[in-house]
Amino acid sequence: MAKLKLALYWAAACGGCDVAVLDINEKILDVAALADIVLWPIALDFKYHHVEALPDGAIDVTLFNGAVRNSEQKELALLLRRKSKVMVAFGSCAYTGGIPSLANFHNEQEIFQRVYLETPSTDNPQKIFPQIKTKVPEGELELPSFYDTVFTLDQVVPVEYFVPGCPPTVDIILKVVNALATNSLPPVGAVIASDKTLCDECTRKKENKKITKIYRTHEITPDPERCLLEQGLLCMGSATRGGCGALCVKVNMPCRGCFGPPPGVTDQGAKMLSALASIYDAQEEEGLARLLKEVVDPAGTFYRFGMAKSLLRRKRPATTEVGTR
Amino acid sequence: MKKVTIDPITRLEGHGKIEIFLNDDGNVANAYLQIPELRGFEKFCEGRPVEEMPRIVPRICGV
Amino acid sequence: MAGDFEPRIVGFLCEWCAYTGADLAGTSRLKYPTNVDIIRVMCSGRVDPTFVLKAFELGADGVLVCGCHPGDCHYSEGNYKAGRRIPLLKMMLETFGVEPQRLRLEWVSASEGEKFASIVKEMTMQIKELGPFRSENNVEALRKENPKDNKVTATSK
Repeated sequence: MAKLKLALYWAAACGGCDVAVLDINEKILDVAALADIVLWPIALDFKYHHVEALPDGAIDVTLFNGAVRNSEQKELALLLRRKSKVMVAFGSCAYTGGIPSLANFHNEQEIFQRVYLETPSTDNPQKIFPQIKTKVPEGELELPSFYDTVFTLDQVVPVEYFVPGCPPTVDIILKVVNALATNSLPPVGAVIASDKTLCDECTRKKENKKITKIYRTHEITPDPERCLLEQGLLCMGSATRGGCGALCVKVNMPCRGCFGPPPGVTDQGAKMLSALASIYDAQEEEGLARLLKEVVDPAGTFYRFGMAKSLLRRKRPATTEVGTR
Repeated sequence: MKKVTIDPITRLEGHGKIEIFLNDDGNVANAYLQIPELRGFEKFCEGRPVEEMPRIVPRICGV
Repeated sequence: MAGDFEPRIVGFLCEWCAYTGADLAGTSRLKYPTNVDIIRVMCSGRVDPTFVLKAFELGADGVLVCGCHPGDCHYSEGNYKAGRRIPLLKMMLETFGVEPQRLRLEWVSASEGEKFASIVKEMTMQIKELGPFRSENNVEALRKENPKDNKVTATSK
């Protein structure tokens, strides 16, 4: 089999997904044997013009991580889509928006105001904001346009596969590598993880889902054997796709949903909200008031990794449509 | 003025591009580094519970 | 502007009490606004928050959920679940900038035709004041935008 052409790109990302690929350790040699990498900014020196010079469809697979929140990221998504046979939304950010999509509670103006003026360690007396075009004595400089809203990859271009996780675990990445090596990718549209919720993998004892109080994670030391949700911690596991090996739960921390919704679920946050309300034992006003008080950050918790995929997608209203004025 | 663009800069974490302006002798007249990315952690962490910060801010840099 | 805007409100009414109550409003020939599109569910506890969000996404300006009075649920506990779900959802929606008047939970018994009519009247009036719910469907705007055609970015004031 001829070597595959592989590209890895990052948009509004942290580099964790790229490092996760390196976490497969010596198996990276299998990847090197299997594919020629034509773009991977964290590790290799290929530039955008190298990608532009490739014929359309020349790249067999692009692993695209990071969310789309400025025009350069959108351009790269479009460019890589054109040049690739298969696009993979790699990691939570590309799949559901990830942590960067928490910015959907704000707009460009609010973000710029805080970042470039108000933060305590910023010294910007001339109140300069980055501009799309900046004149300098030698010519003109350009920056991309910053959107009000964070988008997932498949909200910008068609995507064949989704690899969830923040970051995807080594097991999941190896699944992808093996599928590529043996030419046995699943049907298009697949999310490459488990088809069950996290609860299925979690080895804790599950007894009775009825709670009378919700605790913040610092308020109790949970019993390592019992279900965290049953102990009153807000564990997203029942509304989250499995496949991660329950890593967070194993260290006594409730799941925050980074693998996205389980199959068949449209809106992960709505489902978790619904489940929580179902199991909270309160029938009168006073109990309801307690529930509302104890869930301290509903949207930021239920949609921690998936704001961009939520049905409402962002706080209304945005200042503009997509940062244009 | 002739301009040499390096885009993207590579083998580090983050996005960046460098514009180098050359004068008529072919020497560097000026060079500019631009960072074409921003996510806004400084803003969207506001309103989140403090005990969740260790789960949110490591996503600033995964390296 | 408030004059010509007619809110579209989706109403999830439970089969046993609320829907019968709304029916009574009809058979009693009570006059009330026609802005509510009624969807009959077996129990207010059936109303998944996803339904509410989907209604807003698809263009509803408001969502009304009506069920049996506490203690009277045909399925014993369903309305208690609704009684926790909808207020929690309402609280969360406020952080999305959705005004609390747009989502309303009410207990309507089979004999409370008048109550149903007056709820619809009040809710329609309130949402008329608030204006249309703007669904942030800017995915379409993003798709149409030409990446090269960048306009100005934010300015510090």
